[in-house]
Amino acid sequence: MKVTNGTTYRMLQTNLGKISTRLEDLRNQGATGIKLNKPSDDPASIRPVLTTRSQIRSTERYLDTMGVSLDKMEATDGNLEHVENILQRVKEITINSINGAMSPADMTVFADEVSQLRQELLDAANATVDGKYIFAGYQENVKPFVENTSYDPALYDQADSATWPYIYQGDPNPTELEITPGEKLQTNLTGNDLFMGISNSVMQAGPIPPAVGYPSDAGRVDIFSVLTRVEEALRAGDIDDPAGAGGGLQLQMENIDTAADQSRRLRSQLGNRASRVDTAMMHQEDVRLDLNQILSRYQDADAIETFAAITKQETAFQAALSITAKVSKISILDYL
Amino acid sequence: MGGLFTALNAGKTSLEVNQKSIEIIGNNISNVNTEGYSRQSAVLTPYPSMSFGSFFIGQGVKVSDVTRDHDTFVTNQLQEKSIEYGLQSGQSNPLAELERIFNISDNNLATDIDNFFDSWKVLSANPSGLVERDIVIQRGEQLADSFHTITNDLNKVQQNINDSIISKVDDVNSKITEIADLNTRIFNIEIQGQTANSARDRRDMLAKDLASSLGVQTYTDSKGMMAVQLPGGLPLVQGTEPMTIEAVPNGQELSLVLHTGGVTRNIGLNNLGGELYGLVNIRDTVIPGLNDNLDQLAYNISTAVNSFHTTGAGLDDSTGLNFFTPNSAPPLATDPLWLDAARNISVALTNSNQVAAAQAPVPPATVAPGDNRNALIIADLGETSLINGSDTFDSYFGKMVSKVGIMSNQNKLSLGGAEDAMVQLQNLRDGMAGVSLDEEMISLIQFQRGFESSAKFLSTIDEMMASLMDLKR
Repeated sequence: MKVTNGTTYRMLQTNLGKISTRLEDLRNQGATGIKLNKPSDDPASIRPVLTTRSQIRSTERYLDTMGVSLDKMEATDGNLEHVENILQRVKEITINSINGAMSPADMTVFADEVSQLRQELLDAANATVDGKYIFAGYQENVKPFVENTSYDPALYDQADSATWPYIYQGDPNPTELEITPGEKLQTNLTGNDLFMGISNSVMQAGPIPPAVGYPSDAGRVDIFSVLTRVEEALRAGDIDDPAGAGGGLQLQMENIDTAADQSRRLRSQLGNRASRVDTAMMHQEDVRLDLNQILSRYQDADAIETFAAITKQETAFQAALSITAKVSKISILDYL
Repeated sequence: MGGLFTALNAGKTSLEVNQKSIEIIGNNISNVNTEGYSRQSAVLTPYPSMSFGSFFIGQGVKVSDVTRDHDTFVTNQLQEKSIEYGLQSGQSNPLAELERIFNISDNNLATDIDNFFDSWKVLSANPSGLVERDIVIQRGEQLADSFHTITNDLNKVQQNINDSIISKVDDVNSKITEIADLNTRIFNIEIQGQTANSARDRRDMLAKDLASSLGVQTYTDSKGMMAVQLPGGLPLVQGTEPMTIEAVPNGQELSLVLHTGGVTRNIGLNNLGGELYGLVNIRDTVIPGLNDNLDQLAYNISTAVNSFHTTGAGLDDSTGLNFFTPNSAPPLATDPLWLDAARNISVALTNSNQVAAAQAPVPPATVAPGDNRNALIIADLGETSLINGSDTFDSYFGKMVSKVGIMSNQNKLSLGGAEDAMVQLQNLRDGMAGVSLDEEMISLIQFQRGFESSAKFLSTIDEMMASLMDLKR
């Protein structure tokens, strides 16, 4: 074996080539901060990286969706508070009318006020967020509660919603949104459930013939009917005659309590759900943080490590260059 | 006086031989950087001695042959390793291109898939929003576009491979012809008892190049002719006869045929080696495989979305509509259902009201604008393992990308290994047969001194002859 021109320069060239390629890779890593630049850099990490990225995107979407749900729930809650205040005032009026000896004129004033309150209740029930009715189920573009034009106090039947003073035009479908993978949460209340005491399942099943309407669930009432009938009882001065106009104030007194209960119960249910969304949001924020950490572990270059490696390679490169320069200086020709 | 004349003759041969040797050294030095050149040296033998009564006296020296330093084992090893090197280096460019197509940046196909299903999630939060509906259609079109781009890119890689095969074939043919010519030349020179050193060097080099580009095998027969064969045994050079390879375009396809004395034969993958094997392998095996995977992905996405989209209903009560245009049935019964799905995928809906976010109502009921049940179901498809029951759309794409990554990674490692092996073998060959300037310089001194002493010898003889002449005045 001998050393020839060819072997020496080939060796120098391949080594310089190798070191400069490595240096190029490391500089690329340092500049981008990412060690996974091409699929071949680490084929085993590709699937986790793509999956994690997709999970991060869906987590961000869940957070967005939950934000929207919370907004809706807050708007609903505000309306429910208003409903509660209305019922509170009606109760005060009713108690006053039963206890105090009121003149018919006073009763009429009270009846007018209840009529106003009923109008306010109607406004709350037809509340909109973002141009959409919040208590209309899926029929968000249809005004959910309108006055029943064929309402006749004499024909009022507690078991048939068709005879009630207001009719519901929405549908019994609460909106569900996906807040975490696989978990759907109801984000609103339907008008039939909240104001009429008819649960969604009953209404979804359809009326039982020959009835055209629905009865309220046991222990629940139609709040509109209660207010309308209180007003009728006040106008007629009917304190305790169940068969008289409006069924008598004594009887309606109980119904007002039931109605307040009904609104409170649904309001607290909504509150529970809102707090569920709150915790889920916190959880998803944590998940997002964790996922970002996982992603970073797979694809990000360790800055210190990279810079150390670059320095190391640069030293090697300099050494190789200076050796190349020295080799070209030594020649037998200088000695002959 | 007779002895002096003989000595004069011996000195003359020495002058010639030393000059010749210096000439050869000069040639070696000139070829110090010539690839494949083997160092040559003169073989010196003394002239037959002549009998002077009872003893023999030498009659000088002559150059009996010029040989090259050569080692068949290393030459064969080099040729053998060139096949592997050629194969890996042939694949490295197309693989780099595939890596670019199946990239892992933030905007690859996986992102488009995510974005599409994400748009359904957004729609589920506001099912009556026309903007949200438009976005669903746009994201669907974007997804289809991405599929088209990747399919076209893969196609382009195949075409580029074809172009480089065509240019390689010309080069290969000229080398095959040159080997056949060299066979003739070497035979003609060596039949006269001389050694065709540089022709053999050149032939070895060509054989190495052909091994790298075609994976050929060679052997030398008793007449010194090199026979060249394709890996599968088809002949390329027989004696002094060269065959030709032709690249025959056939529509989009390009096939290689071999013309052997009037007979035309197809060159399949089993008859290829080296760089052309690498190129053809990527073109005919790797890319069609990726295309098939891509088709399957596109087909699965469109059928899954369609199957739920048809059961839903749009704002205008339309139901039973496909979101994506269904893939047309393949021409042959043996073809997979997803044939060309990636090329043909497109969004069928044009009216954003028809995006089926709602569950189809039972007539006479109509669609409620707030109904988001179907949107929720379709949004969920993105996270369901629908491909072969084990992969989500995203992870299936991830699998494809890792497949390309593994291939490219493997190629880089093998190429590095083959490069190292080539460098080592080349150094080994140069160590045995290459030109070392140090060595040549020392030989130069050696023969210069030889020449000088011969000249000195001649002038001594001349003086002696003059002395003899001076005896009689």
